[in-house]
Amino acid sequence: MIEFSGDFESDHPPDELWNYFTDPEILAQCAPGCDHIEQESESEMSATVAVGVGSVKPTFDVDMVVVEADRPNRLVMNAGGDASRNSFETVAEMTLEEREDGGTHVDWHAEAAVSGLIASLGQRALGSVADRLVNNFFEDLEDLADEGVPAESKISEKPEATATLDE
Amino acid sequence: MKPATFEYHRPSSVEEATGLLADLGHDAELLAGNQSLGIIMANRLATPDHLVDLGQVEALSGVTVREDEVEIGAMTTHRDLEFADDLREALEMVPESAEQIAGPSVRNRGTVGGSVAEADPAGNYPTAFVALDADLHLTAADDERTIPAREFFIAYMFTDLGPDELITGVTIDREPFPVDRTGMAFEELKRGAQTFPTVSAGTALRVDDPESDNPTIEEARVALANVSDVPLHVPDAEDALEGDTLEAGIEAAAEAAIDAADPSPEMHADEEWKVELAGEYTRRSLRTAHERATR
Repeated sequence: MIEFSGDFESDHPPDELWNYFTDPEILAQCAPGCDHIEQESESEMSATVAVGVGSVKPTFDVDMVVVEADRPNRLVMNAGGDASRNSFETVAEMTLEEREDGGTHVDWHAEAAVSGLIASLGQRALGSVADRLVNNFFEDLEDLADEGVPAESKISEKPEATATLDE
Repeated sequence: MKPATFEYHRPSSVEEATGLLADLGHDAELLAGNQSLGIIMANRLATPDHLVDLGQVEALSGVTVREDEVEIGAMTTHRDLEFADDLREALEMVPESAEQIAGPSVRNRGTVGGSVAEADPAGNYPTAFVALDADLHLTAADDERTIPAREFFIAYMFTDLGPDELITGVTIDREPFPVDRTGMAFEELKRGAQTFPTVSAGTALRVDDPESDNPTIEEARVALANVSDVPLHVPDAEDALEGDTLEAGIEAAAEAAIDAADPSPEMHADEEWKVELAGEYTRRSLRTAHERATR
């Protein structure tokens, strides 16, 4: 089990950011190595994501389920990805807290079970890269919000789903 | 094992190579001296669809030592740097970091650009170039840019290099390092010649008076390998040294290196030991640099 966590400061209020975090088109633009995201249902998405460490860069078919969407405070997702000889499963949660100046403090945390070749890279290597990728994601999303690119919340939580790792 | 199937490309110019990258992007991997990639591919950790071999791009090889700067082509081999006497005279840290890489067969084939792009935090050049504040030159089909080595390395084996870019070379400004008043050193702890070092320290010192036994240090450079997820520049160590003698600052510099170190443990070296080594190799490297500055 690998754990990642971090935080991010945004100039935009939680309610505005929420639309960005729950708009698959926005997510596809910001997610590193992501070509497109298909919305499969109100709370399910699938994507193709290519991420890697050095020349080890598997392309994952990723399925995501939103298990908790408490607008505009908390979003929890269950995601699993398969690539040739690699796979991962993760529970990622994010909380948005309004700051006194109207901006948002975002805390994120993810637990992942990684198997296959990338697992051999170890927590430090994956953590180091994951931190960077997540920060890139937040920065890109903040840029879109700064530019006022329209975003529409299209995702809601799946009823009776809970966040679990199979392990 | 054998590598998974791939298509092999052998461009003869930078333009041809960047053109291929523009078309193939994420599906292509650049091949330089093939001292790491081949192994990773044979283990099928990496399975690129296309391999773009830079071996025939002659324009990328060579060292040019000018009065104001040194220019090193990305496809220059470790061996060529090791035996570049004019470079040793100008910036001793670079050939010294080259000559300590693995064994002769690796040094005959491995390249500067390959090592920089691989961005292993234990690698020698990334640390030397961060210490020397080198500039890296990157080019894509319709764009080129220069980025300081200190900004290029982002995370473990993760750099600012885009999928459509290649490294053409490295330049290092000589202005801070006048030959007659500067000493530099690259000291590393290695458990075996063919392995990556456990910890390395690249340092440079410029003194006011090389004839003095205890000269004042005008400028110091300190960077460490393999004690962080990127080559670790230690500005606090440099601040501790500048403006006084080596003896006045060396312990504070070692302490700064220890404070800055955040290593991941390895099978043969736990975190605590690597932190201690960060201090010890900073000391050793600074002492050697100081001897050379005052010889």
